[in-house]
Amino acid sequence: MLDPAMSTGVESPIGIDDLEGPLFIAWQITSLCNMRCHHCCEDSAHLMPNEMNRTMVLDLCRQIADMNIPYVAISGGEPMLHPQFFDVCRFFRSHGIALKVETNGELVTEEATREMARLGLRSVQISVDGATAATHEQLRLKGRWQDAIDACRRLVAAGVRTEIVFVPTQFNIRETAAVIDLASSLGVFGIYTGKLMRIGRAAKNWQRLCPSDAQYEEFFRVLRQKTDQYLGRMKVYYYPYDVIEELRVRVQTPSASLLVIPDGRVKLIGPLPFICGHLAKHSLREAWDRYRKAWRLPQVRDFVAQVVAKPSLVSRANDWIELY
Amino acid sequence: MKFSPNVKVRREKRGSVVFDTLREKVFVTNETGARIVEGIEAGLSPEALAAQLSAEYDQPAEAIEAEVRQFIESLRSNGIALTEETQR
Repeated sequence: MLDPAMSTGVESPIGIDDLEGPLFIAWQITSLCNMRCHHCCEDSAHLMPNEMNRTMVLDLCRQIADMNIPYVAISGGEPMLHPQFFDVCRFFRSHGIALKVETNGELVTEEATREMARLGLRSVQISVDGATAATHEQLRLKGRWQDAIDACRRLVAAGVRTEIVFVPTQFNIRETAAVIDLASSLGVFGIYTGKLMRIGRAAKNWQRLCPSDAQYEEFFRVLRQKTDQYLGRMKVYYYPYDVIEELRVRVQTPSASLLVIPDGRVKLIGPLPFICGHLAKHSLREAWDRYRKAWRLPQVRDFVAQVVAKPSLVSRANDWIELY
Repeated sequence: MKFSPNVKVRREKRGSVVFDTLREKVFVTNETGARIVEGIEAGLSPEALAAQLSAEYDQPAEAIEAEVRQFIESLRSNGIALTEETQR
């Protein structure tokens, strides 16, 4: 009665054509950011032209609830800079939708923490890219390591399930073990990491940022060791594949998720340039139908084959191609 | 017995999807499993669930209850969090 097939992420053991709707929405609610991280996968800084207005934002919330989509992650940019951030959070939680917030932590004040605790979020994920202020701030321009750490402390103390995300680069990969130990000392629920993605601003800075094969080999050795060390105490989650391996899998078994960018366009997947819908023109249900069809388009499949053959093409992920 | 708050269930064409959003793992049930899942969501005990299904499927309650318990055990063994809160 229970399909033993089990999967990571939001892959579903049944195909997307057998699902009434997506199981997960990754919503980049704004491109506005108070940092200028060298390794940002979105090149976030300023508002994107034509970001969704309040009416569109709340309409999307309603459509997500109407489609009975169980899980949403809100990110940015810095999502807490969005004027309707807490309205959106309150809407989802009042409709029983599991909600993860991905933030740099700078705006997680005492008051924001209390509200997050009251809302019962699935989790708040804070970016910590170094075990020291110097390393973190070298990568996260305008960011303050201490603010991120203080945000983690506040959230944990308030009983908010807190996660840390760590992105390895040449600048910080040597601190992987120390960051995981720091996460444990902060009492967070888990730490997420994986290979740097060659998209957004990270693609522009790729030569300076990308760790070497030897560094990655050591990185994964450390992760395996730390996973065992913290087993049962803190979740050490790492995605072992890079973007190319991910695409190879996704073109065969697309994820049951939609990626909504700040202007309401719906991307096929982060590392591909294809836009399969636009919420200014299409309902979310139409975007889901388009998403399912888009993965079968020769244009998409051929592009994935080209990227697999020449991985540097993935840096074109933000040179959007509209499929409608 | 109920699902923990981070476990979300959605009815699909042929069964249900059970999504443990905390572990980010998705499970799929067939139609019979979907009926059991609905009973769990309603807070029914295994006995009450078996009695309900027994009447619906015109099968002996003992056999149905064994299947219900086996299903619940497979949920637990796959790490899907269930609380003991029960209503009869």
